[in-house]
Amino acid sequence: MTQLSCEKAGELMAGAWMSELDEVSAAALQHHLDACGECAADMVALSRMWEKMGCLPASEPGPVLKARWERTLDSLMNEGRSWRIPWWQSVWPANPAWQMAIATLCLVAGLAAGALLERGRGERDEVARLREEVASTKEMVVLSLLQQQSAVERLRGVDYSSRMPSMEPQVIKALVQAVNGDSNVNVRLAAIDALGRSASDTRVRDSMQDALTRQESPMVQAALIDYLVDARDRNALGAMRELIGRADLNPTVRERAAYAVRQLGQ
Amino acid sequence: MITVNDNTDHELMLAVARGDGARGSLAAMGEIYERRHRALFRFFFRLTARQSPAEDLTHEVFLRMIRYRHTYKAGEAFEAWMYRIARNVFADYTKKHRLEAPAGEGQLEMAESPRPTPLDAALKQQDLALLYRALRALPDDRRELIVLSRYQGLSCEQIGRIVGCETGTVKVRMFRAMKEMGRIFHDLRQEKAS
Repeated sequence: MTQLSCEKAGELMAGAWMSELDEVSAAALQHHLDACGECAADMVALSRMWEKMGCLPASEPGPVLKARWERTLDSLMNEGRSWRIPWWQSVWPANPAWQMAIATLCLVAGLAAGALLERGRGERDEVARLREEVASTKEMVVLSLLQQQSAVERLRGVDYSSRMPSMEPQVIKALVQAVNGDSNVNVRLAAIDALGRSASDTRVRDSMQDALTRQESPMVQAALIDYLVDARDRNALGAMRELIGRADLNPTVRERAAYAVRQLGQ
Repeated sequence: MITVNDNTDHELMLAVARGDGARGSLAAMGEIYERRHRALFRFFFRLTARQSPAEDLTHEVFLRMIRYRHTYKAGEAFEAWMYRIARNVFADYTKKHRLEAPAGEGQLEMAESPRPTPLDAALKQQDLALLYRALRALPDDRRELIVLSRYQGLSCEQIGRIVGCETGTVKVRMFRAMKEMGRIFHDLRQEKAS
């Protein structure tokens, strides 16, 4: 029979106390105890202690515990919630290592999504900035063209302004100046057309009323009348009546102005 | 509907874990409670030496069994699963309240023995009181091992599943725990004698 180490003997002693020792192991342990006085002493003393420990009494649970449990069961029964386990609880792993792995994955995914969103936002900001720059450049072009000597160039400027997504105050001011003071009738007519987009602006309509009283060209007068009618500007009635009262007014314009007064007076 | 009385704890817990309706599941849980709450209470009483915390912890184990019922799988051993929850509950408890002074020796109730003489009874009580103090003086993990094996009646294999180690390791640790307790018991006896 092979000689056991004291550690192995200790393991077998524990097995003996718990009645888990087979015959072969029991014989091996006995063989060791016969040869090792220290282990033999441990076996005697600790086995006696093991036996005595069986006499250590335990308390019993009080009636409060049972009553508490019954209250818990009642409340669970009365909650009325489904007893069925939510799907995510069945999927969520019990192993903390897997939980940690999933949490890490979620964190990484969140960071990646955040970085992508941030980059997208950066791109959007850049596009907005570029749009602003383009709009600003267009405005400069319009203003520059409206200052040109050539009527053709000024007409191009007006045309260019009508293609801008929104009309900036500087451009509106330049167009109103064109209506009032441009030497070329076609430029003035084009400017009135271009200002049609800003008809909701009271200041623009007031400027158009002033222009109506000062314009000499029947075509421009007719265009201004149409502008003010389209804008449903009842404040323009005074300017219309003043125009009708002018002796040198073109009859067609007078007729148109009279029609406009009727329209706006309704 | 679950027929609770004829089923093993494992079958009952599987029914609870499946969640086949509140009434059936709670009936199964109630039966498990009836079968297990005393053992769990004693487990905690041996560890805490106090009635009220032992009752609180026992209640908490059953609440967690309901809360984490989805973690109970077909291949699970009920005993090991329940005691794993109990260990976690106890670990949380010790984290919150560092164990206070153990119950006094006077609180111990004597186990009945056939016609003990007054002297025998006194000696026995004294020895038991010292044993009790020695058990209380052990570190938590060693005391837990002794309680599981000596008082809860679990085999080394079952304890191994609960604490997560090999059967041989359980036995080695058991021997060390017993030896340490024996040393403490001896010291206490010497102290008492002198």
